[in-house]
Amino acid sequence: MTDDSTETVAVLNTTSAVGIGVCFLLAVVALFALPTLERQGIGFETAFWMVSAVELVTALGIIYFVLNLHEEPE
Amino acid sequence: MDPTVLQAGFDLLGDGRPETLWLGIGTLFMLIGTFYFIVKGWGVTDKDAREYYAITILVPGIATAAYLSMFFGVGLTEVEVVGRGTLDIYYARYADWLFTTPLLLLDLALLAKVDRVSIGTLIGVDALMIVTGLIGALSKTMLARYTWWLFSTIAMIVVLYFLATSLRSAAKERGPEVASTFNTLTALVLILWTAYPILWIIGTEGAGVVGLGVETLLFMVLDVTAKVGFGFILLRSRAIMGDTEVPEPSAGEASAAD
Repeated sequence: MTDDSTETVAVLNTTSAVGIGVCFLLAVVALFALPTLERQGIGFETAFWMVSAVELVTALGIIYFVLNLHEEPE
Repeated sequence: MDPTVLQAGFDLLGDGRPETLWLGIGTLFMLIGTFYFIVKGWGVTDKDAREYYAITILVPGIATAAYLSMFFGVGLTEVEVVGRGTLDIYYARYADWLFTTPLLLLDLALLAKVDRVSIGTLIGVDALMIVTGLIGALSKTMLARYTWWLFSTIAMIVVLYFLATSLRSAAKERGPEVASTFNTLTALVLILWTAYPILWIIGTEGAGVVGLGVETLLFMVLDVTAKVGFGFILLRSRAIMGDTEVPEPSAGEASAAD
């Protein structure tokens, strides 16, 4: 993909970029976590809702961080 | 009707699950889509385009993990349903949707440039749609399953209505390039998302008209198109570039781009 050379490069907000990465990793781990949670003695439905909650919260986290992905101009 | 009337697939792992063929293909398509978007977006400096790339890469990224977990049987459980016996439920599918559908809607909301309250409302109803679907998937009587399916479908209709009306109007105000891309993506979402509850109700979790193999194949096609296809259309559009009023390319520029 090419960009016009006239545009200014937006400054990334490092916290948001890291936040997106962390949320994504958490969401991936959660997808594989249910059998481990069950082995810890947690019932299927409880473990299932825990995994679902992690997916939703990480998605909301990513939305927040994407909306704040760049530093506001001074 | 016997849920195995229509069955398809190939048991790749030798664990008695012919649907692993479709889950494996789904994993591969999602992975290819993720890497394609990463390569395409590498070095992009435009502020708005970066946001679209970030969202659009994460969608097939998480779907790759979800499909891999279903392929290896991690994202699978059994639910005892009165009158139907034991159903195989790929719960990772729902977890995937909880993560990806808000992000797909965020792409559309950013394209239409609506305010954060509208984004919150849209994503709130979307979460309701998936959560009620989840409750339905785990319910142990068919009446409860169909009732939650109905709630989920109503929530989906609200989301689609919101897309086709207020977001569409907002996108139209941003110029022809944005309006055209938004309309194409919304049409894709309207068609594909409508197919999900239909497939659910005729699939093994609903009436059981089609078997798990065909159901998994069709969900895979829907998922790949709704995530990778959606991203492909969005990211090749000039509408994602910073300014709303992107000038039309001249004939020379257009042919050079090809």
